[in-house]
Amino acid sequence: MITIDKLNLHYDKTASYNIGKSTDKNKGKNPSRKSGKNKASTQVIFDLSLTINKSEKVAIIGPSGAGKSSLLHHLYQTLQSRAALCSQRQGLVDNLSIYHNVFMGALARHHCLYNLINLIKPFKQNLNDITALCQQLELDQPLDKKVDKLSGGQRQRVALARALYQQQELFIGDEPFSALDPLMTSRLLETVFAQHNSVIMVMHDRELAMTAFDRVIALDKGRLVLDSNQQSINLQQITQLFQTSAVA
Amino acid sequence: MPQLQQVKNTTYPLGYWQKVTLSIWLIALVILPFADIEIVNFDPYLELTLMSQGLMAPDFFATEYLFQAIIQTVNFAIIGVCLGLILGVPLALIYQHPIVSSCCSFLRAIHEIFWALLFLQVFGLSPMTGILAIAIPFAATFARVFFDIINQSSDSPLESIDSRADIISRYTYGKIAQVLPQIMAYTRYRFECALRSSAVLGFIGMPTLGFYMETAFKQGNYSEGAALLMIFITLIGTIRYWCPPKLLGVYLVIACVTLVEIPAVDSSLLVRFISQDILPPAFANAASFAEVQWHSLYIWFSDIITGQAIPGAIATITLALLALAATHFVTLNAHAVASNKLWPAPLTWLAQLMLLIGRCVPEYILAFIFLMLLGPSMLPAIIALAIHNGCVIAYLAVRQSNAIAPQQMQISKFNQFNYHIMPSIYPNIMALMLYRFEIIVRETAVFGILGIMTLGFYIDSSFSEIRYSSALVLISCTALLNVAIDILSRRLLKLPKTSQASC
Repeated sequence: MITIDKLNLHYDKTASYNIGKSTDKNKGKNPSRKSGKNKASTQVIFDLSLTINKSEKVAIIGPSGAGKSSLLHHLYQTLQSRAALCSQRQGLVDNLSIYHNVFMGALARHHCLYNLINLIKPFKQNLNDITALCQQLELDQPLDKKVDKLSGGQRQRVALARALYQQQELFIGDEPFSALDPLMTSRLLETVFAQHNSVIMVMHDRELAMTAFDRVIALDKGRLVLDSNQQSINLQQITQLFQTSAVA
Repeated sequence: MPQLQQVKNTTYPLGYWQKVTLSIWLIALVILPFADIEIVNFDPYLELTLMSQGLMAPDFFATEYLFQAIIQTVNFAIIGVCLGLILGVPLALIYQHPIVSSCCSFLRAIHEIFWALLFLQVFGLSPMTGILAIAIPFAATFARVFFDIINQSSDSPLESIDSRADIISRYTYGKIAQVLPQIMAYTRYRFECALRSSAVLGFIGMPTLGFYMETAFKQGNYSEGAALLMIFITLIGTIRYWCPPKLLGVYLVIACVTLVEIPAVDSSLLVRFISQDILPPAFANAASFAEVQWHSLYIWFSDIITGQAIPGAIATITLALLALAATHFVTLNAHAVASNKLWPAPLTWLAQLMLLIGRCVPEYILAFIFLMLLGPSMLPAIIALAIHNGCVIAYLAVRQSNAIAPQQMQISKFNQFNYHIMPSIYPNIMALMLYRFEIIVRETAVFGILGIMTLGFYIDSSFSEIRYSSALVLISCTALLNVAIDILSRRLLKLPKTSQASC
């Protein structure tokens, strides 16, 4: 499905993923920008080569600052035409209801007039679909509730619902369950797997990554250090990776 | 505890806002000797007694056509704001273009009064004059502020929308929906400004509340004037009750229906105005382009610049700088008096009412009252500007400081105010104040009509002497001065964008 060869990413490039606008508007939102004085030369990915096949379910793990999100956004940029992204910065519109935030996933499927009317008066069909989707994600809130009234976990599930509602074959997620409890996480992961042919996901739960995914790759300091397709890996190796990284 | 080593000669540098504050006051002190601020009137008590008597016994039935005046004031404001929105919203979307933004800042820099004086020559006392005089500068302001609001909003919703969706859907869901509450709040605030502008247009003859106010004050009918002021303040103070955003459409329809009839525009008048009146005499007198006497044109132009524009500009800037320092003084005091962090709630309500009065009474009326008390000089204008702007800024600052969560520390209210509240909001107060400097310069125009020798004075006299061409040159000078000040203050101070409070 995708092969990347000797990828090098610098911080600036990834800051403006997806749209490619100038980056100075995102000031302060990314902590790494503040720390790097010479921001132009902050390299986050070094000589990374990787092939991901169709219908693979890949988990990306690694200590913080390893370049997981940068790699993920690069993958999304290349695969945009058939991928749904569930980003860490959820990008919810606080002023809109749960319903409209989820519906934003379907904007590309409809004509702009349809979308505008839906903003004022929701269509029955979408309302039914989104109600079902929210029930599936255990989001038992009224659909007309504004998302700024929701808790962190509920917001995360609205963002997840929006990504699911894009109905793409490939799901790209950046720690989409980080604010949820482990049991709910595994239930929702099943839902994501059931609705997508391929999944690429940054996971912070190492055990779940090892058990639920076909393939696990680990990054450290911008380099690919472990790949379960190349070698058999066990939890111990990964734990060690996190420890050495913490010491260094 | 071991004895700490004695350290000598420690220094503590001034903070950024301390430096700014000091320089504002230093500049004011330096130019103070050059400003005309002497108190001429030695017996202000007679006038003061009459005024307070009028205030004590307001006469609500003295004004003929009072209801009609209120309706017209509201009508001009509503139609003006709606037209301003219609023109300003599309401009906001293309505002990043340098030509659009400089045109807007030029249009914005011309005071409503001057727009009205211009349109008065073409349309006469038709409602068109009032509506256009409000709509044009408001459209330019809406364009800039909406652009700022959209620009400062988060991009992350847009980034999370599928990029294959069409641009209109992406933009409405990702941006417009996000900034709509801010835009609504700002529009409501501007509506208040429009009401004030609409009243001010009465001073040059439009049939709004200001017309009757000016007449009453000029004739010494202080009980009528006080009644009109009270009605006007109530009108502004209760906007949120009588004009909720949902009813704006209804009001627009009512406004269009109840508007006094628009007389047909005399097209020959318009043609004459454009082709003759506003042309410099050298052009207007010449039959063809070849006959234009360039030398006389040059003399005419340089006479206006050296004789009127430069002295007017100097007076304008002097007045504005002194008013800035005075505004600083009023703001800090008014904020301290109205903050609920310092006083019990009932006292702050009283102070809030004072702030409301201070920001509602048109500067012109304030200046007029002080002119009666202190005699003709710059002083009444300085006091009027300081009270009006100080109350606006203090009102915004109080809203902010009341929202600050109190410190979880056992310290007295006074210490809390000085160590927690003031440091948190002072930068904001200063930014608002420097932002309003541009507005202060704009507002000095109004005082020209009262005889204070700012640029507005020369413009007003050009209009009354039917020298439209020189009026146009002077208006352009005023606008350029405002644009230059705007650019300079932004460059020098790297102002944080607090566009929320321009008016």
